[in-house]
Amino acid sequence: MNEAEAIFLAVRIWGYIGAGVALLFLTVGIDRVDEDARGAYIFRPLLIPGILVIWPLVLWRWYRYETGPENWSKRYDPPRKAHFAVGLILPIALAVIIAVGWAQRQTWPADIAPVQLSQPAEVNQ
Amino acid sequence: MSDKHPPFFVGYLPVPAGLRGWLLVACALFVAGLAALGMAMGTSQDDPGPGAFRFDYGRQTVTGVIELTPYPLVRVTKGNDRILPGTTLMLSGQGKSNVDARAIPLEGQLAQVSGIVLQRGTLNMLQLRGGRNGISGVEGAAPAQETKALGRWQLAGEICDGKCLAGAMRPGTGIAHKACANLCLIGGVPPVFVSTQPVDGSEFLLVTGPDGEELPKTLYDYVGNFVSIEGEVERRGDLLVFRADPETAGKVE
Repeated sequence: MNEAEAIFLAVRIWGYIGAGVALLFLTVGIDRVDEDARGAYIFRPLLIPGILVIWPLVLWRWYRYETGPENWSKRYDPPRKAHFAVGLILPIALAVIIAVGWAQRQTWPADIAPVQLSQPAEVNQ
Repeated sequence: MSDKHPPFFVGYLPVPAGLRGWLLVACALFVAGLAALGMAMGTSQDDPGPGAFRFDYGRQTVTGVIELTPYPLVRVTKGNDRILPGTTLMLSGQGKSNVDARAIPLEGQLAQVSGIVLQRGTLNMLQLRGGRNGISGVEGAAPAQETKALGRWQLAGEICDGKCLAGAMRPGTGIAHKACANLCLIGGVPPVFVSTQPVDGSEFLLVTGPDGEELPKTLYDYVGNFVSIEGEVERRGDLLVFRADPETAGKVE
């Protein structure tokens, strides 16, 4: 298996697990953790693409709601406290990524000419 | 008191006087900075070249002899104004798919092929329509097609997938395109070697394994990188075929 096939397989496995989580969460879990969703079904398929991508977060949040430590009033404290650091790190990271990309650019070896190593052995018809 | 009640920006309220100057400077720098970054990134990119889907040609239908390299080719015997007899067309299906299942049973036979042309310089590919509308055998004896051996060569350049290179992607080359190219190759799209300088008049060569098999998977790691590699070259119509020897492959620094 080469690198491309490995990446493809990993993405496929991630998606299969996400599909399983989506099936379970949208039929069982969402009714247990969100009383506003009870009896509402049309919107649920819209959540499938997102769950396919972030299913570990869905499982984590579901677990937190089920086991009780979830405190709604403090739900957004961590992201709020991280705003400044993220706001600083994100542009720096983008600049570093662009700089690394530029540094890794290849130079087209235009000066290397094709070399004929041997003459043709035969002409097929 | 001012420390306890610093000016606070709210988007739907008038801008506080104490923030107005700072906001103007920040906005000007932000817009100018993004424009400068966009200009720098845009101007530093290589020209993607003229490769493109030729939708302006419309659907093209020609007749020719099916050959396997093992990637299926059509040696055009009865062309039209756009695709002349003697042209060799690489074939692909929709997206990152091949047409092996439809083309292999027709090897050595006359067939009619129909689809949209992708073209980059001397490189021609036909993206076939679905089913028998895309390729079907026709009555008649297939004329013999010449394959001219050109000897063993050492070439420098890049292995790409033939479809993106021919015009499905712009650019369809380079490291940034490596994953896309490898997925195309896994899908059986014909790989193409772009030579630094023309070989027998052409800088594009369909590339196969050393014994005429599909591109060895060991060469997938070299896709998108600038490499030097040796192999036998042969001419089939206006298309060169490069039988690359993976044992001789090395990255060009």
